[in-house]
Amino acid sequence: MKQSIDIGLRLVKALGQALGIVVLVFFLSRIVPGDTVDMLAAQGDLTESQQQAMRHSLGLDRSAVQQFVSWAAAAAHGDFGESLRFKRPVADMLATALPTTLVFAGLSFLVGVGLAFGLAVGAVMTQSRAITALVDAVNVWSIALPTFCVGVVGILVLSVWLGWLPVLGGMLLPVLIIGIDSAGQMVKPLHEELREAATSAHVRTARAKGVSALRVALVHLLPAALPVALALSGLVLAGLVAGTLTMEVLFGLPGIGSLTLSAIHGRDYPVIQAAIVVIAVALVAINSVIDILHRLIDPRLAT
Amino acid sequence: MSLVLTTAVRRAAWAGLPAPALVAAAAVLALAVIGAAAPMIAPYDPLDQDLLALNQMPDAVHWLGTDHIGRDVLSRLVMGTRTTLLVGVGGAAAAFAIGAGLGLLALALGRIVEGLVFGAIDVVRAMPGVLLALLLIVALGAGVVPVTIALGISFAPFFAHVARAAYQREMAQDYVTAARMFGGGPLHVLSLHVAPNLVGVLVTQAAIILPRCIVTESVLSFLGLGASPDAPTWGRMVADASRYIEVAPHTILAPVLAIIVLTASLSLLGDHVRQRLDPLRHVRRQSPVEEPTS
Repeated sequence: MKQSIDIGLRLVKALGQALGIVVLVFFLSRIVPGDTVDMLAAQGDLTESQQQAMRHSLGLDRSAVQQFVSWAAAAAHGDFGESLRFKRPVADMLATALPTTLVFAGLSFLVGVGLAFGLAVGAVMTQSRAITALVDAVNVWSIALPTFCVGVVGILVLSVWLGWLPVLGGMLLPVLIIGIDSAGQMVKPLHEELREAATSAHVRTARAKGVSALRVALVHLLPAALPVALALSGLVLAGLVAGTLTMEVLFGLPGIGSLTLSAIHGRDYPVIQAAIVVIAVALVAINSVIDILHRLIDPRLAT
Repeated sequence: MSLVLTTAVRRAAWAGLPAPALVAAAAVLALAVIGAAAPMIAPYDPLDQDLLALNQMPDAVHWLGTDHIGRDVLSRLVMGTRTTLLVGVGGAAAAFAIGAGLGLLALALGRIVEGLVFGAIDVVRAMPGVLLALLLIVALGAGVVPVTIALGISFAPFFAHVARAAYQREMAQDYVTAARMFGGGPLHVLSLHVAPNLVGVLVTQAAIILPRCIVTESVLSFLGLGASPDAPTWGRMVADASRYIEVAPHTILAPVLAIIVLTASLSLLGDHVRQRLDPLRHVRRQSPVEEPTS
């Protein structure tokens, strides 16, 4: 009972945050002096009455609150208006870009989680100095090396100097870069948690009984590390947004990140608003799912 | 010379500063001096274009070569040090002021204000830093001041939350109860009694946030949304160079190295500060957990 109230409260909080973000994004992208009609008028020659008519048809002559309500109501139905530059529905543009970003972020996340778990479990199970050193190395790597720097140097070495990969296109290099970076953020605390679990009585008993190393790792060690892994994955996901953005731009991947950047440079406000709202709200949703899973696994968290 | 250096390193290590932290501190200090004296050090105007000398390899005239429109890379790097440090440090300072100031003020003004302000802070925190900074730059425009403000707002929640945790811990102490019993109002107790005891945790947080501010500034510059084109930054240099990577690969390594040296050094120092100022340090040292390497 207490737990379901707790989860309900978490959902309410997520809804509040999502609403807060929508408000924030809408009004922040309106602070800019001058509206879209001013901008179009600066490009071509529109008469005063044409500008008036355009403002009326775009709803720009109404109050900010009225505009927000109609924009948010349409957005809730998946209608984000029309791109100013491409005259296409923004929702279509997002739908075209979304698969690239989802595949890229998903692959990077899997590589990161796989690498972090592999190294941490390997280091604890084998007690190998080399693997433990690798855990530290990946951790220091992610702290010291910003991903866009690694990306640029990677292109320089692998494509320009060695001629292995085409300079642009292809997800292999960026997925590896973001994967290793994500692994570095997780691997150290994960390793510490697993090491502590490995010294606990039930693991010792299992080993003494002659349970195989694989079974000890899967059945006894990993469940102990799950709460920490969940908490860390929330952190990693936030980092993934920045990483995906820069990698998409650097490697020319046609995802949401590239779309957002080109919209910002082209002052295409409907696209900017929609892209940022979609990314941020998706992140709030994922984070609240992680939080709820966390609470289900570890009921002590319920407050 | 090397003997003098090793002796100095050993002495510092003996005094409690580990050798890596010393090297990091020296690197940061050197970059700070370069940044402060940039106009005097830079051999050329970082914006001067020599269209007869495009993409030149390093030589005696241009020590680090020239870029795609014939600008001296060394001069841009030196001037970029100034802008990068200015915006990064300014952003961290703004985050400190906004986060700690707003957070503590809200805490002192009672539960309702606290709930409202921290609710708003949580909305800001729910957005990834770079995304919020992008949005703020859309709203405020590019340039040194808007980017600094954007960094300040994006990183402010970290300070607000640390301030709240420390504040709640301090408010339960006897000296606060005593000050209240003598009739001290909430703002009086906060500013005179509690705030001095929060400086430690907030400074630690600043040491952790500073390298992240600098990386974020570099990312924004790299995306073409940093300080204005007239002010060279390392991130913008990387962005420019990455477009001409095949004809002028030498222009990319200098700014990338500069970013890595600065952020890695600052992260290392931040971690050192965190360990030194950690109130549980002495308790933890007795436990058999080894020192984190990073």
